Amino acid sequence: MLQIKPILAALKRHKAGTILIAMQIALTLAIVCNAIFIIHQRLDRVQRPTGMVESDLMTIQNRFVGTEESKAGPLVKADLQALRQLPGVQDAVALNSYPLRGGGWSTGVRTDPDAKNSKGHTTQYFGDEHTLPTLAVKLIAGRNFRADEIVEADPQAIPDPAVIIVSKALAEKMYPEGSALGKTIYIGDSKSPSTIVGIVERLQVPWNGTWSDTFYENSLIQPVQLTSAFTNYVIRTKPGQLADVLKAAPAALVKANRMRVIPSERGVRTFAQVREAAYKGDRGMAILMGVVCLVLLGITAAGIVGLTSFWVGQRRKQIGVRRALGATKHDILSYFLTENLLIGIAGVLIGAFLAVGMNLWLVTQFEMARLSAVYVVVGVIALLLLGQGATLAPAMRASRVSPVEATRSV
Amino acid sequence: MLKMTHLSKVYRTEVVETYALRDFNINVNEGEFVAVTGPSGSGKTTFLTIAGLLETFTGGQYHLDGVEVSNLNDNERSRIRNEKIGFIFQAFNLIPDLNVFDNVEVPLRYRGMKAAERKERIMNALERVGLASRAKHYPAELSGGQQQRVAIARALAGSPRLLLADEPTGNLDTQMARGVMELLEEIHREGATIVMVTHDPELAARAQRNVHIIDGQVVDLAEDPRFHHAVHAARGNAPA
Repeated sequence: MLQIKPILAALKRHKAGTILIAMQIALTLAIVCNAIFIIHQRLDRVQRPTGMVESDLMTIQNRFVGTEESKAGPLVKADLQALRQLPGVQDAVALNSYPLRGGGWSTGVRTDPDAKNSKGHTTQYFGDEHTLPTLAVKLIAGRNFRADEIVEADPQAIPDPAVIIVSKALAEKMYPEGSALGKTIYIGDSKSPSTIVGIVERLQVPWNGTWSDTFYENSLIQPVQLTSAFTNYVIRTKPGQLADVLKAAPAALVKANRMRVIPSERGVRTFAQVREAAYKGDRGMAILMGVVCLVLLGITAAGIVGLTSFWVGQRRKQIGVRRALGATKHDILSYFLTENLLIGIAGVLIGAFLAVGMNLWLVTQFEMARLSAVYVVVGVIALLLLGQGATLAPAMRASRVSPVEATRSV
Repeated sequence: MLKMTHLSKVYRTEVVETYALRDFNINVNEGEFVAVTGPSGSGKTTFLTIAGLLETFTGGQYHLDGVEVSNLNDNERSRIRNEKIGFIFQAFNLIPDLNVFDNVEVPLRYRGMKAAERKERIMNALERVGLASRAKHYPAELSGGQQQRVAIARALAGSPRLLLADEPTGNLDTQMARGVMELLEEIHREGATIVMVTHDPELAARAQRNVHIIDGQVVDLAEDPRFHHAVHAARGNAPA
């Protein structure tokens, strides 16, 4: 710190290099802070639990052919019977969708049938009494559906259900002041109440994009067996039987009825594959952002090493003179480290403003969340440490310059 | 003040050993103004770098202000350079990025001196060399003679026990050289010990005593008749 004033005086005489490195540090900080923030958000999303026990779970996407679109009820029933009879299968259910599938139904829900606006937004799952055991979601209040509550319905004309099961998040959204169990809600524009008979701890919606972030745990299950020719079978296998059932289940379905299409790509998947596919984009983005961060940090470090090395080479004689005038090796080392620190401080101050500005732009343009100050603070410290680390080698080289350099003519 | 006894400096490569100084003996007393002379390659600069603790030596002994310096570590050598020695280089060696004030301040900062004391010493030294009004100027804005005066102010500001000057007028024209020499003589009259390395017989003649080096050893000036005559001619008398 002894040398700040003369270092600042010297830096004023080397404005171009100083400004370039400071701006490089500033831009790196701004981009890295936002990139790491995005990475963190994506990783948080990837790690969100669905509420289901995901091991020993698989799905089959099925479309009957040669059957009227809404008359497949008996075929679905037969399929479920065939699946549940397989030796490795613990339970199976036919659903319109399931968490992380990527497509499904959503609707507004109200507690007051006359309310103009819905109180919450939720996804709708349609399934029978096997839904909870198959998905292995945790029922924290109330009960499961009874078999006599299940109705068969054409997807175009689903009756308002008398009873429903909701996720805890939706229950709290609809009835924040107390337990929602036994209370009623109105689905969509319906004037018929549906009574909440069960609350599950968590059940994620089928989507994992930004648009569903505000209601990603708001789910309700209606006791409906759809008669659609298109359906998704979700199968829970007995422990350790997943690999066998992956082969046996589609074979059993084909054996039961050949008039169907099970797509080769997404047709039969373990839930691990479903999760993998659902978050492929998020993981890709996180990796891309990570690579961008590493490249930027690498370029910045290389820039600092390069400029410091250049300055050390350029000032070799000056270093010798300083040593001749009494500077210790430590003084020389400290000179270059302090010089970098001063440039770094200027860079991170500008960079902190840029980081916040860039985030505000992302917030307005891409509905991103606000950048936490922690990212900026950590980024500032990291960039300053990176600068010091990058300066260390050339600074140590400088400290080894002999004082006898002062007497050399060139 | 400065005493070298049987001192040697050997530069070794894989194939050859070169003695820059061999069995070198010199004794400079406090308050003396000694000119160390000799032809190019004689070892003058090596002597100066060793005397100024800029370089280590191979054998022999060197006492500076009563301290045997051969066993000092790098930090101790730096401290002695800073506190006891003032350097005046042929190429001035001012730091181009710093103004005159900051240049003179450099050794004082390494001494850890307080700002007020530094400022007082700097201004005194600059007044001493007649450049107080140029404190905010950069070296490039000064003439060679003025730059060397700044270098002398830098050397004086730390109140060193010994001033080592390496061809102090080598880069100056005659008029500027005269001014710088007069300044050194004035500083000497005020009690400073000065050892000046030069190959210029006229400058050597203005010192109290000449130490002549040939092939890394101190020799009698008479062994270099041409230089001997030149020195005496500059003094305005004939050699004995």
